[in-house]
Amino acid sequence: MQESLGNAVVEAIALLLSGDPALWEIIGISFTVSGTAILLAVMPAMVLGFALAFYQFPGRRLIIALSNTMLSVPAVVVGLTFYLLLSRQGPLGDMRLLFTQTAMVIGQIALAFPLLVAMSHSAFQAVDRRAWETAITIGQSSLGALFLIVREARFALLAAVLAGFGRIIAEVGASMMLGGNILHYTRNIPTAIALETSKGDFAQGIALGIVLLVLAFSLNILLHLFQGKGVLS
Amino acid sequence: MTSLEPMLSFTGIHKQFERRAILNAAALDLYAGQCHLLLGENGAGKSTLLRILAGLLKPDAADIHFHGYSKPTMSWQKSRPRLRDTVMYLHQSPYLFDGSVIKNLSYAKSATQGGSHNDEAVAEVLSWSGLDDLAESPAKKLSGGEKQRLALARAKLRNAPVLLLDEPTSNLDQQSRERTIALLASLRDEGVSMLIACHDLAGFSEIANGRYHLAEGRLVRSEA
Repeated sequence: MQESLGNAVVEAIALLLSGDPALWEIIGISFTVSGTAILLAVMPAMVLGFALAFYQFPGRRLIIALSNTMLSVPAVVVGLTFYLLLSRQGPLGDMRLLFTQTAMVIGQIALAFPLLVAMSHSAFQAVDRRAWETAITIGQSSLGALFLIVREARFALLAAVLAGFGRIIAEVGASMMLGGNILHYTRNIPTAIALETSKGDFAQGIALGIVLLVLAFSLNILLHLFQGKGVLS
Repeated sequence: MTSLEPMLSFTGIHKQFERRAILNAAALDLYAGQCHLLLGENGAGKSTLLRILAGLLKPDAADIHFHGYSKPTMSWQKSRPRLRDTVMYLHQSPYLFDGSVIKNLSYAKSATQGGSHNDEAVAEVLSWSGLDDLAESPAKKLSGGEKQRLALARAKLRNAPVLLLDEPTSNLDQQSRERTIALLASLRDEGVSMLIACHDLAGFSEIANGRYHLAEGRLVRSEA
């Protein structure tokens, strides 16, 4: 078993290094879908996080409670919810989005959004309250003041984006239910790992697992580098 | 002094926190080129008053009279944009943004030159505040006195007609206090109207033209 695992790892690395088109296509789909989802989710989530941190308004506590609750909802439950909405009999069935990359993007936005809201809320809350008043009193517009606050919180916000991206690129439940794991179209890294492992083809599963590990490691190293050396200042 | 027309008058300022009246029909006038001290016990509402005057905190009621304007008297809510263009507020402990001294100065928008200022103006305020050698230093690593001088340099660059300061020399050593007060005197001489919340009369007596004493929500004015 140990020998076969070792062989599978060697084969996995060889697959990655050889530029295996099937493997890299799956990686490409993963990054396209999750990249699109995070890009679409990040702006509204951070605006909401900012509003929660800096303003008092009706329903604020409810939104905080909801976003915190959504953090612990399993991806497969999110997938099931959107499956029911997008399936032919569902209220959005006419849009024919089920088993498309768009459906996967929607599911991943739903997964990333609460995490981005909760983390950006914390990030903005950590910014000194005087920062906003100072920005206004030195003549910045509300938008200019917002830019300065975002700049002050940039490391924590970047961490939020990385955590959100990490959550959705590695989730299998929503992608499987909403994308259907269709080869060349909706098969991404986690659904491919699940499929290849169930078929006993460990090499490709391990190769894709290595991609996820390297990705997580690289993103964290980058974040620490930026924070340590003030690359972003 | 009282024969001069004030540039800005506030009347009927009311503010309650949890049913406790902090400000109760408070009123005050601010004059160009004059410095007034705002005195009062701890918790009397000095900071609250300053933040209302700066357009940063909404009062329960207040009228503002901008002298020399066609529509001089406005409610606080309506006058908020004009207040923010006219009044600048400096926190007791100035907030400086991440980045260098010069970066912090670059964030200040001139109130009189369409928001922009040139390199010469920046160099001038750096020299004025004695921060020339620290232009590229991280602002957050400055000493207390240097931070206060940077905040004043930012205020000079902002060029707002009214400057409100919340205990600007507290926690400063004697030398830093003197430098800060000298800079304030220089701003006053340039025509800036100042209201300084403070405990220490002695430090500011040389530059003050008058005093407001805040007690039980009301302001009582006395001459220097």
